[in-house]
Amino acid sequence: MGWIYWFSSYEHTKPLALVILFVTFVGIVLYVYGNKKRGQKLESYKNIPFLDDDETNMREDKK
Amino acid sequence: MFKHEWLETNIGLLTILTMLAISIGGLVEIAPLFFIKNTVEKVDGVRPYTPLELRGRDIYQREGCYLCHSQMIRPFRDEALRYGHYSLAAESQYDHPFQWGSKRTGPDLARVGKKYSNEWMVAHLVSPRSLVPESVMPNFPWLLTTQLDYSDIEDRMRALRIAGVPYSLTKAEYDANVKKFGKQTADMLDINKARQNLIKQAEDNDYDGDPSNISEMDALVAYLQVLGTMVDFSKYDDDEFVKYR
Amino acid sequence: MTTTEIGSNEQYNFDIVRRFSFTAVLWGLIGMSIGVWIASELAWPFLNFDIPYITFSRFRPAHTTTVIFGFGGSALFATSYYIVQRTCQARLVSDFLANFTFWGWTAAIALADVSYMLGYTQSREYAEMEWPIDILVEVVWVAYMAVFIGTIMKRKQPHIYVANWFYLSFILATALLHTFNNLAIPISLFSMKSYSLFAGTQDAMTQWWYGHNAVGFFLTAAFLGMMYYFVPKQAGRPIYSYRLSIVHFWALSFLYMWVGAHHLHWTALPDWTSTLAATFSIMLLLPSWGGMINGIMTLSGAWDKLRTDPVMRFLIVALSFYGMSTFEGPLMALKDVNALSHYTDWTVGHVHSGALGWVAMVSFGSLYHMIPRIWNTKIWSEKLIGIHFWLATIGVLLYITAMWISGITQGLMWRAFDQYGNLQYSFVESVAAMHPLYMMRAIGGMFYVSGMLLMVINVMMTIRQGNNAPVQVPSGNLSVAGA
Repeated sequence: MGWIYWFSSYEHTKPLALVILFVTFVGIVLYVYGNKKRGQKLESYKNIPFLDDDETNMREDKK
Repeated sequence: MFKHEWLETNIGLLTILTMLAISIGGLVEIAPLFFIKNTVEKVDGVRPYTPLELRGRDIYQREGCYLCHSQMIRPFRDEALRYGHYSLAAESQYDHPFQWGSKRTGPDLARVGKKYSNEWMVAHLVSPRSLVPESVMPNFPWLLTTQLDYSDIEDRMRALRIAGVPYSLTKAEYDANVKKFGKQTADMLDINKARQNLIKQAEDNDYDGDPSNISEMDALVAYLQVLGTMVDFSKYDDDEFVKYR
Repeated sequence: MTTTEIGSNEQYNFDIVRRFSFTAVLWGLIGMSIGVWIASELAWPFLNFDIPYITFSRFRPAHTTTVIFGFGGSALFATSYYIVQRTCQARLVSDFLANFTFWGWTAAIALADVSYMLGYTQSREYAEMEWPIDILVEVVWVAYMAVFIGTIMKRKQPHIYVANWFYLSFILATALLHTFNNLAIPISLFSMKSYSLFAGTQDAMTQWWYGHNAVGFFLTAAFLGMMYYFVPKQAGRPIYSYRLSIVHFWALSFLYMWVGAHHLHWTALPDWTSTLAATFSIMLLLPSWGGMINGIMTLSGAWDKLRTDPVMRFLIVALSFYGMSTFEGPLMALKDVNALSHYTDWTVGHVHSGALGWVAMVSFGSLYHMIPRIWNTKIWSEKLIGIHFWLATIGVLLYITAMWISGITQGLMWRAFDQYGNLQYSFVESVAAMHPLYMMRAIGGMFYVSGMLLMVINVMMTIRQGNNAPVQVPSGNLSVAGA
């Protein structure tokens, strides 16, 4: 279990944390912006607030 | 392959990942403070408050003094000249809660103890502008006319004892305090003698200038007069505390 | 206070939204009026009148609690219940629990205010409520979480809209913060008094981890949720970039929790903690501005709305103040700037550019959008909204200008040396120099409160109009006023 002490030193954990966080961030950005088709799909969700629109949708609901 | 849609369509997963994202920062910054030995300096002289000082501190909190007065001197030349040696973590180690403050509408009070006479303190609290015409501090005249309620002083000390302040309830705890703080201080920290200690300190010092009663003013001034006086900095080298910062 | 003629047969539970919207504007008026009063006490100390209950130091927590949790909190309850129902196309999961959150929350704010004036306080900034009220808030919060998450679980729309993520993050973070910052030991079961479980440095760190994240999640993330729904709705066009909102959400949620210690620069807190906090504060600028850009760009192609639509103006100016405050914040988190700005009025000004400029203005815009819709009518006076906007803007500008000048003046006076190396000014000289600026601040506040008063009138007249109008559609809970 001696290896666990490797984490207790800031000289080790600082760069380690930096690498993990940076990779995660780049991963998210690549995922979100990397693929055009996926991008279009993600963007399509922005219309949700309008699906429930005041007049149109309401009438349909009542039928 | 991971899809962000899983999160966008699954409230459980979204909740767990959000919880994870918001927990890390606090854990990394707060948890080590409880374990790293260097968080609080090793320094002689810092002791828990006496029963009377403790009641004074309660009044300090009740009146909201912390909203305009800090108790945390920073390591700058101007603050050293104006207020004294910079504050140590050790000096607030028995402060539940801390009273570092965040605003100086009035001056810092971390080392205000013994800088002014009791008479000045009382007159200033009753009517600040009678002594300092430009002051914007409110008057606190009711402190002088309100009897100090010390009927629950033991309850207060017991609660603090649970939180980790070395007020003694048993003989063993008392003996440990004698070893750590000396007999005189250890007597003051004995919960069983709290009431008589409180009355005696108030009568011996008569902070409010009225020996006939124990007012809230007695307690508050007793507290103010001890602030920042526990550590004798002449005993320490200038660089002694740098390694803790 | 609210209409109940539309029974529980309606598609959505808007009754609860009505209650919270109405109390939000009332708390706003009360809390901001207390604010003007205490600001005046600093300019003219005789206003304390030697009355303990309204003495500055006891009255200030009543101001902060009423505006943050009374006004801000009620606005968040109202908008979150509105948005979660409409974007999930599902009715709230439990009317009983929702009503419980209303009465519980309102009681907690009222009890807190009274208890501070009587002298019961934990003396933790923005968490002054003593332990019995803390427990009440905790229970209400669990109920809120259950209603919110429960409603999302029974949604008809498979996708969870981004506004709800922000509300979710706010609810979770607030639960975490409230619980850990209020760990305390009561002196007895029958006393309001308690002592914090932690002491000194650890206590300070816990408090400012709470304090800054109350800003980060209560006053930012949640209001961004508001922004992500009401800006697109009012503009009539979808949010600028949904992908940006994904990055924005995760970065903001993760980064905010690290920055609290920048309130403790140069204190007895270990250096590594505050340096870490300063670093993350700088990084936080990116997601903050990402959110601002996302909101403002939503209007691209429809900029003329800024001229014609006062509600839109509130929303966009709010975002501009958000951008400004989130630039100023990281700046003040730099240790060298903080050495000057900390303990001064600059901090107070910064808080208010965020609170009055961003939080309150985005709430005004959202409430003006929502209130006519939930009362099924049109706003009583559009013109009054326009006047409110200008009163509010002038008020904020006066306020923050006064505080910038006074803060920097204080900071410079405290550290000024004369030619012999002695301190140039006594402390009280800096106090005297603040007097004109404290007057200016109080006047700015008066502008802001008069705008708030107009809003209360406008809202009350709108409600009256909505209640008097014949209900055209039997189950017509939705607005026909249209945007």
